[in-house]
Amino acid sequence: MKDTENKLTGKDLMYIGIYGAIYYVIVFIVAMLGMIPIMYPMLAVICPIVGGIPFMLFLTKVKKFGMIWILSVLMGLMMLISGMGWYALAMSAITGLVSELIYKSGNYQSAKSAVITNGTFSLWVWANLLQLFINRTEFLSSRESKVGAEYVEKLNALTPDWICPVLLGICFVSGIVGGLIGKAMLSKHFKKAGIV
Amino acid sequence: MELFDVHFQKRGLIFDPRTKLFTMLTIVIFVVGGYGTVPDMLVFFLEILPILLLLTVGKFKKAFLYSIIYGTAQASMLWGIAFLPETVRYIVTLFAVFIIRISPGMIMGAYIFSSTTVSEFMAAMQKMHVPNQISIPLSVMFRFFPTVMEEFESINHAMAMRDIRFGGKNAMKIIEYKLVPLMICSVKIGNELSAAALTRGLNANAKRTNICEIGFHVQDIFLFLIMLVPYAAVIFTKLGVLS
Repeated sequence: MKDTENKLTGKDLMYIGIYGAIYYVIVFIVAMLGMIPIMYPMLAVICPIVGGIPFMLFLTKVKKFGMIWILSVLMGLMMLISGMGWYALAMSAITGLVSELIYKSGNYQSAKSAVITNGTFSLWVWANLLQLFINRTEFLSSRESKVGAEYVEKLNALTPDWICPVLLGICFVSGIVGGLIGKAMLSKHFKKAGIV
Repeated sequence: MELFDVHFQKRGLIFDPRTKLFTMLTIVIFVVGGYGTVPDMLVFFLEILPILLLLTVGKFKKAFLYSIIYGTAQASMLWGIAFLPETVRYIVTLFAVFIIRISPGMIMGAYIFSSTTVSEFMAAMQKMHVPNQISIPLSVMFRFFPTVMEEFESINHAMAMRDIRFGGKNAMKIIEYKLVPLMICSVKIGNELSAAALTRGLNANAKRTNICEIGFHVQDIFLFLIMLVPYAAVIFTKLGVLS
């Protein structure tokens, strides 16, 4: 009996798809801001915060092992299909599992671990920015002949490598802020609407 | 946002979804990811390939728009920066590099979404032996995207009357007045959708069938072979054959 209780049913998979679509659309709408190059790194802040609301809503439906992980992998897959790079997929496979374990440690109902879960889950957003840092020297050096070496150097100075791990931290913190906002929204709106 | 479409008037040149995914992977690794030392000409080809692919399915408007964006970035990188004053030059290069790196992946994404049907994509997932736990939520997601977008549009119209929009007087209220209603009505529709899917046997432990026939044709093999070139270039460079 216990075995069937913990297995994902078709209904659970449907929920993942539905909430995944809501989550993706909302993050996508926000991510349109990233079309402005300067705003692009800022997505690591905005996406986790706004994405926190649908994600916290999703967590109220999560009662079995695997749902968060699958949603995470789906987000990574969507990033690959829409051409944002493969780092997000690699990252989301790991952070998804971590988030799953964190939420599981709170028996799938602790509000505190739900907030932290949003922090770790949101890290796939950061993985999209990774490609701007990895292999950057190769990329620029292939164009060095056209733009000049000192030029490349100055460009590198504008976006130093240490920003990358800092962004990771910022992304996690924003995820937690987003989780808190999501939690507040849950009790403010969704309970009233009878959804939670 | 355009996602997988179901209604096609003219299909143009049809590629297998797996070929498209492989092409996407190649572009993502070598252009967006900037991996390895691949000859410049090859990278350039990979960068403009998505635009060519858009042309093969007759999306001329989109192809035109993207080629203008990409072409401007490339041109300003090649010639424009020489004439600009120092400070402006850095900003322009920063923008241009960003666009040249990021846009090929996005254009390829636009091509995949505008040239593949949901059924085709699901058939491909099945052929690639993607487990049900991934493919079912994914198909639900694709089915659900248009609904969510439609709801969002209606909410947008309603909220525009109250000046809740980007750049409006009440822009800060967007989250509460747009996203929350969007979530509430999407969840309600989603519940109905899941009930409908369950009655159609989504829960059944049987192998699902698909009416869509996909397979590799001449054009697929051709594209596959081209896409193998960058990998080969990397291997040959590592071996020391190419330098």
